[in-house]
Amino acid sequence: MSEPTKVYRDKKVVEALISKIKHETEKQSEKIKIMHVCGTHEHDVVKHGLRALLPSKIELIAGPGCPVCCSSAQDVDEVLWIADNHNTTITTFGDMMRVPGSTESLYQAQGRGVDVRVVYGVSDAIKLAEKTPEQDVIFFSVGFETTSCVTAAEVVRTNLPNFSIYASHKVIPPAMELLLQRDDIEFHGYLAPGHVSTIIGIKPYEFIPEKYNFPVAIAGFEPVDILMGILSLLKQINEKDPVVDNTYGRWVRYEGNTAALKALDEAYVVSDARWRGLGVFPKTGHEISDNYAHIDAKKKYDIPELPVTDLHGGCICDEILIGKSKPHQCKLFNKACRPDHPIGACMVSHEGTCNVAATYEEIIWEE
Amino acid sequence: MCLAIPGLVTELLEGTRVMVDITGVRREADTSLLEESLDIGDYVLVHTGFIIAKLDPEQAKEDLKMWDEILSS
Repeated sequence: MSEPTKVYRDKKVVEALISKIKHETEKQSEKIKIMHVCGTHEHDVVKHGLRALLPSKIELIAGPGCPVCCSSAQDVDEVLWIADNHNTTITTFGDMMRVPGSTESLYQAQGRGVDVRVVYGVSDAIKLAEKTPEQDVIFFSVGFETTSCVTAAEVVRTNLPNFSIYASHKVIPPAMELLLQRDDIEFHGYLAPGHVSTIIGIKPYEFIPEKYNFPVAIAGFEPVDILMGILSLLKQINEKDPVVDNTYGRWVRYEGNTAALKALDEAYVVSDARWRGLGVFPKTGHEISDNYAHIDAKKKYDIPELPVTDLHGGCICDEILIGKSKPHQCKLFNKACRPDHPIGACMVSHEGTCNVAATYEEIIWEE
Repeated sequence: MCLAIPGLVTELLEGTRVMVDITGVRREADTSLLEESLDIGDYVLVHTGFIIAKLDPEQAKEDLKMWDEILSS
């Protein structure tokens, strides 16, 4: 291990934390529901079997934490429209390949001859564009702040006539606020995403305790990290003293990553964004700023309005995304919709809530 | 998607590039998104080829102290 990760998986520390969590839980008579908004959290919670270790009174809810799952079919449709009408090469993350569009995924389109390539990141897409000056290359950029700041770094320094970016970026704190305003989902604390927080810092969450009197704990991804976050939330709930507690201080600074924030600010404007099956949420997206219109695929190509179908055959990805339903409540789950044959977007990425539940056969979902 | 992997800086390369050892695999990473300077021996978080954070060793030591307190309480 490069980082001394072992100590964050130490069995004795985990056991001591679980015992402290039990102690705090006993102070509450009702069920305590904690929502995380990070696919890596869901993956690591399930991989390490943490739900089974927690007292049954604690429910850990998976919220909208996977940008691949949240992306609307319209984004896939529009990228494919460009590829079909302008003979372009599409590059994107491997996770995006099987995300369903309205009629087909990028993977299916590749099968009928569309040039789609998987890249490790935006820099590899740019290298490809440099090597093929006669061919237009598009990078289909999906992600929360962690990933979109990397794209932003290239937006501000890249000027290649044959390269553009289709941005499908989401911004997490406003989405967290929208969930707090809904009366159809009830929960008592937010486990905030550690890696998004390395970028944005602590300040963007501060409205949550201030305006909504609601606890937040920023947590990392090893078992001890996640349990420390949960313990912090329970203490905040019991002491009725909600704050933004940073339990991932070895990586997360109060001010965040100032260079990355500068890149985000320079490259993008905050915009409304489409969430799969949920419609448009105001101010939850990052579009490329007009100052960099030359690299914006949405401005470079005149994309017509296309009919969009986000959910197929009874898929309830919309409810899964906001933690309103659980995977096994979907009639397609692990039947028609499986990791090797996804029908809904939440079954595609290895951090999608349905994919994680199917891969690890998490029995806790069954209750 | 926001998966970021911790690694150890093993070599400072030209411009904004460094060599990072990630669980025994060496690969180049871009430092353009980091205001702090890097030295050999720093732990960093790598995401899609870019370094997005540098470990705060003092805070990491605090973590270890906290575990001790949790274990002894």
